[in-house]
Amino acid sequence: MTTPDTATSASKARTWRYRVVPYLLIAPAIVYLAMFFAYPMYEGLVLAVYDEDALLPTRDEPNLDGSEVSKIPQGTALAIVDRSSQEVVGDENPDALTDPWYQVTADDPTGSPITGWVSEARIRVRDEDAAGAPVSGTVRPRLAATSDPLTDVYEAPNDRSEVIGKLEQRAPVEITDVALLEVWFQVRPADDPSAAAGWAPSRFLQVFEDGENGRVHRGTDGEFTTAFIRRMIDDRFFGPAVRTTLLLMVLIIPAQLVLAMVMALVIHARTRLSTGFLYAFSLPIGMSDLAAGILFFSIFTGNGLLNSILDALGIIDGPYAFLTADTVRWIIFAIVLAELWRATSIVMVILVAGLQAIPDETLEAAELFGASYFQRVRHIMLPLLRPSIQVALILRTILAFQVFAVVIALGGGDVVTVLANESYRQYFGLRNNNVASAYAVFILLLSMASAFFYLRAVRSEPEARPT
Amino acid sequence: MAEIRIEHVTKTFGDNVAIDDINLTIEDREFLVLLGPSGCGKTTLLRAIAGLGMADSGRISIGGQDVTYLPPGQRQISMVFQSYAIFPHMTVHQNIGFGLLMNKVDKAESDRRVRSAAELLHIENLLDRRPSAMSGGQRQRVAVARALAMEAKVLLMDEPLSNLDALLRLEMRAELKRLLADVEATTVYVTHDQIEALSMGDRVAVMLDGKIQQCDAPNTVYESPSNQFVGSFIGNPPMNFMEGTIQRDRDTVTVAVGEHEFSPPEALQPLIRDLSSDRITLGIRAENMETLAAPSSDTVPVTIEVVEPLGAQNLLTARIGGHRLKVSTHPSLDVAAKQQVYIRLPADQIRWIDPATESVLYKR
Ligand SMILES: Nc1ncnc2c1ncn2[C@@H]1O[C@H](COP(=O)(O)OP(=O)(O)O)[C@@H](O)[C@H]1O
Ligand SMILES: [Mg+2]
Repeated sequence: MTTPDTATSASKARTWRYRVVPYLLIAPAIVYLAMFFAYPMYEGLVLAVYDEDALLPTRDEPNLDGSEVSKIPQGTALAIVDRSSQEVVGDENPDALTDPWYQVTADDPTGSPITGWVSEARIRVRDEDAAGAPVSGTVRPRLAATSDPLTDVYEAPNDRSEVIGKLEQRAPVEITDVALLEVWFQVRPADDPSAAAGWAPSRFLQVFEDGENGRVHRGTDGEFTTAFIRRMIDDRFFGPAVRTTLLLMVLIIPAQLVLAMVMALVIHARTRLSTGFLYAFSLPIGMSDLAAGILFFSIFTGNGLLNSILDALGIIDGPYAFLTADTVRWIIFAIVLAELWRATSIVMVILVAGLQAIPDETLEAAELFGASYFQRVRHIMLPLLRPSIQVALILRTILAFQVFAVVIALGGGDVVTVLANESYRQYFGLRNNNVASAYAVFILLLSMASAFFYLRAVRSEPEARPT
Repeated sequence: MAEIRIEHVTKTFGDNVAIDDINLTIEDREFLVLLGPSGCGKTTLLRAIAGLGMADSGRISIGGQDVTYLPPGQRQISMVFQSYAIFPHMTVHQNIGFGLLMNKVDKAESDRRVRSAAELLHIENLLDRRPSAMSGGQRQRVAVARALAMEAKVLLMDEPLSNLDALLRLEMRAELKRLLADVEATTVYVTHDQIEALSMGDRVAVMLDGKIQQCDAPNTVYESPSNQFVGSFIGNPPMNFMEGTIQRDRDTVTVAVGEHEFSPPEALQPLIRDLSSDRITLGIRAENMETLAAPSSDTVPVTIEVVEPLGAQNLLTARIGGHRLKVSTHPSLDVAAKQQVYIRLPADQIRWIDPATESVLYKR
């Protein structure tokens, strides 16, 4: 006998377990969703609306310790005020203008030894060690008669540090160290002479040949922007891509649904041939969309199957070019056919599964109460298939927004373009990740909106679900 | 007139003969129960009548019309399915009216019939509900109402009560019997429950292995089973069976069970004498034996093994010649286990069974 006390604590433990176990079970799913779904989606979204290079901060001193003067947007034309060098921080950057300095030991004009830093521009390297590092050299002569013939030696690798001595031209020097300096420019926006000038490293700037003008190449501070989305919408391919994608959807999905329903009914009829039909109908599921596109390309191309047949029948003399820029309708037609051929079987499989979930006795009851075959389809099968149709529609619409390989194979991607192709063009052709992401996010939003629409519009009332 | 005539109907599934050369005539407005253990072919026979699943051979006619090749929708029948087969996406009203809609019965008439069928089954307040929001018993009522609303001449029912719990089944049994008495349809009712069969049917057709073993009024099937299977399948407890040895004397035949001897009735003696072997099986129902506290001329002394008080009766388990018998006694008889009592087995209540054919011997 359990006392009431132990009984309640036992039942408490049990309810606790019942509450926690489901969450433990779905934990891997949540991790999975976060890693492979939410995170990439978040990244894509950020790429589409956030410009990482938007602003370049300038400083009051030509080094990273200087305090910020202003932020200049990427692309702004600049007037260059001054120039300086600073030891490079971080790794080497291909965009940086660099300026090596040598630490040298030599005798000054008075004959006393001196050690300090000299710009590479003032030293001719004579010897290098096995690794290619300079070992010794001479001070370059100065050709201009007006300038000081002696070369300044600085305390540190920096032309703002103290001059600790001078060297005569052609004096031999020993090189003991090398410092790589990056050039910094003091700049102000070209169209605003009153603005305060600030220092920025050369790697973020583009300096024109005259050395007095330039522009901000890229910034280091990010900024939310609709620029990429505007660029996507203003793109000359955007309109055609949206129109073609929607046109393909409107042409393909209803036809596909009807075809798939007929195929599913043929299989569900359980004739001797049903299994054969199932295999035949589902064959295209195993084929990639690109392969399907190429298959239909081979049918519609100049000396392809279709032309051969038409020629053999004497309907045309000589091949007709179906897939050209002048025959966009034929390209669309070929794409529709290829997509119907390729993806209808997936819809069919969903509908067959749905049909099989309808108990035989339910259909027999309808038959017994006098429903003809078409009445059974209309009054029993279609209503009970509603959840399956909903799933099929969502799946097909989402896939229709992603249509790509078939379009590329049959239309090349320029004459007839779709949203996924534009994302691809921006990413690989124009190397613009942000606009490519904007397209991707656009496709995602359209998919989500359509799924939401179907869930609302084709909603099966909870009571109507098969029990 | 809706007499159902089944002639030489056979149906096989692969090598499995589900029903085997069935001949059966069901009279107009008769209530026939098809009774048999699970898998004996009851559903298959019912479906053959309904036209669901064509018979392999044989003929079926309903009301004089040959329907062997007619689809179910044209046979003027309606049916209650074992799983109820209610349409889950329709309201109760739509479910009951479905057959009427399909048969283009006009709206007003259809509404009237739906309403009266619903009233008969006391579900008139559920008409706007959907099946998923209903209990098993309510669904069963919807299925019956849907069948009744058709007002067909033939009503087929496949184990309509088997999915209900015991109490509901008892209640629905009486209610269905009352309902179907008013509905003037020829009814074929399938069940594996012998009490349901005995209590409801005008006639009971007992099936085994795809064959009809006996088709008679419930009393006849109970009192005079045609063979050992029918005796053992019907009745609770089932009929008791004992193996006996035939002793053929010059003018009489007796049967020995252990040390006891039984004399078959005069009329059966020649039949028993003619049996090819010495073996015979005796069958007797529990309530046909009399239990006495004291010995008498034709009693058998037995020791009681178990006493099961069942309220209206006490069921005793006793042993005769190595066979256990169930004997029912009036509860007023005071008995206990291990006690010795005397039971009388009236010769006219004993059924004499030829073990070779398992059929019960009756005088012709
Ligand atoms: N669709 C079917 N396919 C194969 N065998 C079946 C089918 N329907 C019934 N059977 C077989 O036929 C026999 C009779 O079945 P059924 O008529 O359903 O029995 P019951 O209704 O008396 O329980 C069983 O052995 C069963 O296995
Ligand atoms: Mg059955």
